[in-house]
Amino acid sequence: MSIPRSLPQSKEALLKSYRTRLKDDVKSMLENFEEIVKLSKGEHDTQLSRMTQCEQDTYEMHVRAANIVRAGESLMKLVSDIKQYLILNDFPSVNEAITQNSKLFRTKQAECDQKLMSLRDDMAADLYDLEEEYYSSINK
Amino acid sequence: MSYSVNISVEATIENQIQEIQYDGTEIYQPPLTLSESLAKYAQKIDFSKTSEVDIKKEESSEDSKSDTDSKDAFQSSIWPWDSVRTKLRSSLQEICVLADVLAIAKEKRYLVLDPVQQEPLETKPMVQIYARKKALGGAANVLLAGAEKMKNSQTEAARNRTTLDFHIELLRLRQNWRLKKVSNTIIGDLSYRTTGSKYLQTGTFEVTKAEDEEKPSSPPSSPLPGGPIPSKPNSALRVSIPTELQGVAYIEVLCQKDQEDLCSVNLNLMGTAPPPSNPDMHWQQKLEAAQNVLFCKELFNQLAKEAVQLQAPIPHMVVGNQIMATVLPGIQLIIGLRHSTSGDKKQQTPPPSKSDHDHVLEHSLHQLLREVHHKNTHHPFPHPATGPLGPSKKRMLAGPLAADRHELLEMTKTQTLLEQIVQQAQHFIMRMRTEYVLDTIAKEVKDPLISSHWNTLNSPTHSCVKIHISTHGYDAVCRTPLIIHVGEKSLKCICRDGKVMNMSYEPQELRDLIFCHISQHQIVAVQALAKTMGWQALGNSNHLGTGAVEPLGNSSSCLLSSPTGDRIIAVRCEPQAGPQVSVAHSPRTDFFPSRLVTERKWEHLGGQFRDVRLDKMEGRNFLHKMELLMASLTSNS
Repeated sequence: MSIPRSLPQSKEALLKSYRTRLKDDVKSMLENFEEIVKLSKGEHDTQLSRMTQCEQDTYEMHVRAANIVRAGESLMKLVSDIKQYLILNDFPSVNEAITQNSKLFRTKQAECDQKLMSLRDDMAADLYDLEEEYYSSINK
Repeated sequence: MSYSVNISVEATIENQIQEIQYDGTEIYQPPLTLSESLAKYAQKIDFSKTSEVDIKKEESSEDSKSDTDSKDAFQSSIWPWDSVRTKLRSSLQEICVLADVLAIAKEKRYLVLDPVQQEPLETKPMVQIYARKKALGGAANVLLAGAEKMKNSQTEAARNRTTLDFHIELLRLRQNWRLKKVSNTIIGDLSYRTTGSKYLQTGTFEVTKAEDEEKPSSPPSSPLPGGPIPSKPNSALRVSIPTELQGVAYIEVLCQKDQEDLCSVNLNLMGTAPPPSNPDMHWQQKLEAAQNVLFCKELFNQLAKEAVQLQAPIPHMVVGNQIMATVLPGIQLIIGLRHSTSGDKKQQTPPPSKSDHDHVLEHSLHQLLREVHHKNTHHPFPHPATGPLGPSKKRMLAGPLAADRHELLEMTKTQTLLEQIVQQAQHFIMRMRTEYVLDTIAKEVKDPLISSHWNTLNSPTHSCVKIHISTHGYDAVCRTPLIIHVGEKSLKCICRDGKVMNMSYEPQELRDLIFCHISQHQIVAVQALAKTMGWQALGNSNHLGTGAVEPLGNSSSCLLSSPTGDRIIAVRCEPQAGPQVSVAHSPRTDFFPSRLVTERKWEHLGGQFRDVRLDKMEGRNFLHKMELLMASLTSNS
């Protein structure tokens, strides 16, 4: 009995993790963008020489841009994960599919049964005639 | 260099302007003191450069040396590490120098470190802006490349409908199979657990996203006219099935008479010839095949278990993948599990089976297991709120109805799958034998026609055949119906007069019975014919006590007299020998008094019977001959 009770909790945690992932990624995008904009202003006093500072800024901007891209990819992955989660845990739709399938198969079965029955009846009638003919003929 | 002129470069006399005040006065920087300028110039010397040059020189000399020594270096294993050693040594030297410098600076006894005024670097704002612009451009490029990549993957997926989307495939899979996510993998289950199977083997499979390994092959195919000609979409989804469930399995059922096959049935759920399990099969077929393997395994496992447990008079044998059970004396039922993985599929020759055999045994085996499954899940209503599920309705009523021990014991008796299939096999054999006997008799016996009609409604262990014995051309006169119920190990015959005959599985008994009925039919038919001809039946007996003893049954007979009573026909019919007819004339047309018979009146008592040679007579069959005979005897009088 512990499994059904613990399951919703883990599910809850999973959903929460999805939410945090979403927020984290969006936040990371925003922050990185802001940082890039800040860097481009270039008003900061440092002890480094100017060229080094320029190099550092360039590098930082690249890294931050890459971070934005990474956050975007991560969002894509999140979308795919959520899709997967939905597909695997959407029991109402699965139940619907099952009912639909079973209905389909039931109708198919009924159809087959009916066809088999009519076929059997036809064959029985024909067989009777054929038997009659065969047993009363000379060529046996 | 001899023409060189000494050029002295001096610092400008004017000092640099530090500030210009609003009133125009310029404030100059104070000129450097001597010590300051010394420090400034000293600071410009790069000591490391000189040392590096030295080291480089040393290295180059050492390299040349090591080149010469390279031949020796092959022998000595110390040399390859020499460069490391020198590097380590130089770094040690530098560390030592650093330590010394630090020590001196700390002591402040011998030396004082003086801050040197840095010459302010000239600020070039444009350079900075360019640098920043470049940096931003680089960042923008990174972003654009990332966005492009994402967009590309999206449009690729949208446009390329040949490879279906993973999620759509997954959804389809989910609609048909049970799936769940365990940590990072998607695990599916294809066992029959949910439908009531209690088989222990798990049928789990793993779902993975198909990697784009066929990508390199698809670009050459896309320029073909019509675009995605290979319309068989390679699925974006891959299922991996445990090895023990791979391949194709089926259960083979054979009825064997000693060594020769009586019948053989190959069954598999897939219906027709099983498809080869190639790796790029669609997942649906792959899973179905695996499920079939699982089902066959469970079925066979169950049968084998029962075969070992059952206490049969002739014990069942389980050898390897085969179960042997004796159905009837001399006839065995062999059930085998055939499981072929794709590797050895070619070697396995299909058993020499008559493929157009009736598949009753096949179907019923599957049906039986499914019935077991169904029973495991569908318990009879009402379900008790407390207490175990599973006892049958009858057993739940046993308490209120106060059933006794015997009744309860009766309830617990259930038939195992093997027993049921053995029964069905027995019935199958019985039916075949009955068919054979009836057909051979129909072929052997021409005179009364024997026609049999098989009932179309039957159960796996019970069928019924209706037999008519009639004479061609005289169907309306007389017709002997017989009904034979074919059971599992016995036959039941219901005769024309309502008598019930029970017979064993030996076909000879049925044969004898039919022959007896043929002979009785002839007598009854003759009497019926006589009635239509105006003749009188004087008497008949189905079991005649006189005459030679018959090898089977009794002979039957009847006595007929002509309308005027002067002719008598006696018919005797034996099951083996067929009918015999004798005729007596009772007064003879001419009378010669003898010593014993002195007067003509004694001739009315009837005379000797004279045999009629039926085979010399005209007529299509016995009744026709009798009709002709009676007609001729009637007209003569």
